[in-house]
Amino acid sequence: MRYIARRLVIYAITLWAAISLNFLLPRLLPGNPADIMIAKLSRRGDVSDAQLESIRRLFGNPDASLWQQYLDYWGQLFQGDLGTSVQFYPSSVSSLIGSALPWSIGLVGVATVLSFIIGISLGMFAGWKRGTWVDHIVPSTTLLQSLPYFWVAMVLIYFFARENEWFPRTDGYDIWTFNNTEWSWAFAGSVIYHGILPAITIIISSVGGWLLGMRNMMVSTMGEDYVVTAEAKGLKKGRIMRTYGARNAMLPSIAGIGVSLGFVVSGFVVMEQVFSYPGIGKLMIEGVEGNDYALMQGVFLVITLTVLAAMFITDLVYGLIDPRARQNA
Amino acid sequence: MIRTMGRKRVVAAASMVAGLSLLVAGCSNGDGEETDSTNSPDSSAAAEGAKTDRELVVWAGATKPINQTFNPFSPQVQHVALGGIYQTLYYYNKAGSGDPMSLLGESFEWNDDGTELTITIREGVTWNDGEPFTTDDVIYSFTNDIAGPAYISGAEAPDDTTVVLSFDEPQYTNEFSLLGSTYMVPAHIWEDLEEDPIEWGNLEPVGTGPYTVNSISDEALTVVANPDYWGGEANVTNVRYVGVDDNAAAQDLLMSGKIDWVGMFIPQPDPVTDLGIGYINTPQDPTVMYTCSNADLGCEGDQTDVAVRQALNLAIDRTEIKDKAFVGLTGDVSPTFALLGRDDKWISPDVPAESPQTANIEEAQAILEEAGYTMGDDGIYEKDGDPIEMTLSSVDGWTDYNNAAKLIEEQAAAAGMTVTAATVSWNEFAEGRSAGDYELIMGGVIGTSVPDPFQIYKDWMGGDSTTPVGTPLEPGFWNFSRYDNDIVDEQIEVAAGTLDEATKMDAYAAIQEEITRDLPYIPIVINATQTFYNQTDYTGWPTEDDLYAFPPAWGAGASGVVLHSLGGTE
Repeated sequence: MRYIARRLVIYAITLWAAISLNFLLPRLLPGNPADIMIAKLSRRGDVSDAQLESIRRLFGNPDASLWQQYLDYWGQLFQGDLGTSVQFYPSSVSSLIGSALPWSIGLVGVATVLSFIIGISLGMFAGWKRGTWVDHIVPSTTLLQSLPYFWVAMVLIYFFARENEWFPRTDGYDIWTFNNTEWSWAFAGSVIYHGILPAITIIISSVGGWLLGMRNMMVSTMGEDYVVTAEAKGLKKGRIMRTYGARNAMLPSIAGIGVSLGFVVSGFVVMEQVFSYPGIGKLMIEGVEGNDYALMQGVFLVITLTVLAAMFITDLVYGLIDPRARQNA
Repeated sequence: MIRTMGRKRVVAAASMVAGLSLLVAGCSNGDGEETDSTNSPDSSAAAEGAKTDRELVVWAGATKPINQTFNPFSPQVQHVALGGIYQTLYYYNKAGSGDPMSLLGESFEWNDDGTELTITIREGVTWNDGEPFTTDDVIYSFTNDIAGPAYISGAEAPDDTTVVLSFDEPQYTNEFSLLGSTYMVPAHIWEDLEEDPIEWGNLEPVGTGPYTVNSISDEALTVVANPDYWGGEANVTNVRYVGVDDNAAAQDLLMSGKIDWVGMFIPQPDPVTDLGIGYINTPQDPTVMYTCSNADLGCEGDQTDVAVRQALNLAIDRTEIKDKAFVGLTGDVSPTFALLGRDDKWISPDVPAESPQTANIEEAQAILEEAGYTMGDDGIYEKDGDPIEMTLSSVDGWTDYNNAAKLIEEQAAAAGMTVTAATVSWNEFAEGRSAGDYELIMGGVIGTSVPDPFQIYKDWMGGDSTTPVGTPLEPGFWNFSRYDNDIVDEQIEVAAGTLDEATKMDAYAAIQEEITRDLPYIPIVINATQTFYNQTDYTGWPTEDDLYAFPPAWGAGASGVVLHSLGGTE
């Protein structure tokens, strides 16, 4: 119990610092929302007087002092009000995040879990078969790992969406057929179909890391005395591999998935941008480009909270599966 | 080359503006003179098209999630609302020099001193909720808190079809703003709103235009033809506006036939047009170097010396910039900021009509030497030991501007001036120009929406449209150069107070004399404005032969006119 209480205090302090930084950082960017919006509109010509008047009234520089804005921000946070987006006016930040979050969690979450399972299983196998032909395959996966996301995404798009139009180029569902999100089999099919290329991108670029880490841990675990004992006892190979080897070798990877699930929400920003996928990462880029304070704060807050929550859960789980962590904390 | 071809056709097309068969009825200009529609051989373009329910897919530049608003006062209004759903009294074709096209207004007339504008409205128009369009709506649209300009001192309706707007001062120059960019909204809905009209999303807009909203989501919106439209139901009954995040994706979608109409920059249009996709380029907006020119208002740097600006203007090789940075797609620019081809009549004979297209290094150096600069050992001119050094910023990622800046760096060095090309973020660009904290910036000037350069003189060079360095410009002020010249200000007043062309021309001549010498903005080229359209399934697009409206899908007002003129090919 003391373990949990201590962690909670540390997390509370982290949260306060993170939220304050969320507030401060966007305001250190040069420019203000009104200027940027006008600059954007004027690239297209035709800014009507009425629109200028609206910009002046709605998005001009706030008059309140920074300190006052900070207090207001906390007040709003406690009421669950994240403010209104400038960039996507008149949508509220909560509704924007609400509609982007499921896409990020759905796609990136599923892809990360898949990647984890595939990577761990292959790593276990590769570690088990150490010193055989399998070792020659391992370096190729690290090569995949080193490829940048956006590059993999663009290559996939080029071959499977442009040259051969097998998969869609953009979007989370077929926006040519469906007027809005809906609950139907056809829509679900469309979502899955649109998710395939982005998911493959994530798996290709992240599976190597899991695989290599797992394989190396597996190799060192297999050298432990208790494994030798198990072999001496004449246990079945499969039992030794899974129960004696893999279970212990997985510990560092479990700590890793906690952190990486946290980053799921930040949505592999680049991947979402390349595929025009309607997730949190893309929302964040749009917010930063438009100096949209409320939106940036909201998105950063969600990311911060998710990472903290994921790390907290990992801490708890880790305490459960590895008694040493509880003792030393 | 593009320019010379365009010039002839723009003139020809202008006379055909009236030819839009459905809209021509009752179209008249300010003097009440009936427009002759018989000289429009190609006027049948709109009528040729057949009714079609094939869905026309448009990208008007919206990124996802798209802004859920059809509020015409909102800066993020969906493009289709301006022209497709809400209409103005007249449509001013910025691509041609003809008379404005009658929409909700049947005729208008100024009184002799420009303080009264009498408008006759179209009869028999209904809002898409069935209510009739009346003079109350017009008066509300001109006098509400948001759109109503402060200079309107009175608005009355002497009878059921006439509205008289009165002003304290002559407002001839606001004709476009009043008739061409004030959208008519229904008083019976907007007057009784419970919330602030600016903040209202207006998701079920009640307008008079050819389309009504069917659905909207974060990714796309659909509109359907308004069966009771006063100009007749549009031939293309279903239109979908999609959100796309970047040009690369949009180009792929265009080439695979998923998008039918888009206005965006594609540096290599050939692979697209080879697929049979229609293409038109209508350069409109000048690309210039903003110079923070006015030391009196706090500008710093060598560009505050007019001799340096003049030398830079001469040192630039615009042909090279056009070919290398803008892949030859831009138009040639006039130092008077009149759009060549469209506004030729306003260019004074005493100033050069075109900016020099090739570098003239000797003349540039002569100007510097006359101003007291001497060539230093390193080949750079200096005065009192202080060499000419300026930073030219451009927004990172606007590759055409970045490349142009690099070329200018080389060309200026050849003439003996150090210009350092630097890239900045979008935010720094927006803040820098607004606060005057810059030396040189590659930037754009908004081309005028009517065939007259006045708006650029007033908004971009008028002393009333600027603030000292350090004070950000108000929204609606565009004088980033901090230019402040009494003669220009005086002549802007003169031009604003008259409809007489000769008086106006004299005023413009005086202004042009000043600005071509002072060069608060150093003109580079006229930006390309490219439009791509599906000509296989649809007909009636604006073409170089029949440029009845500004073609890109994002054109405010224009897109409604174009949509209503389209039809299916079968």
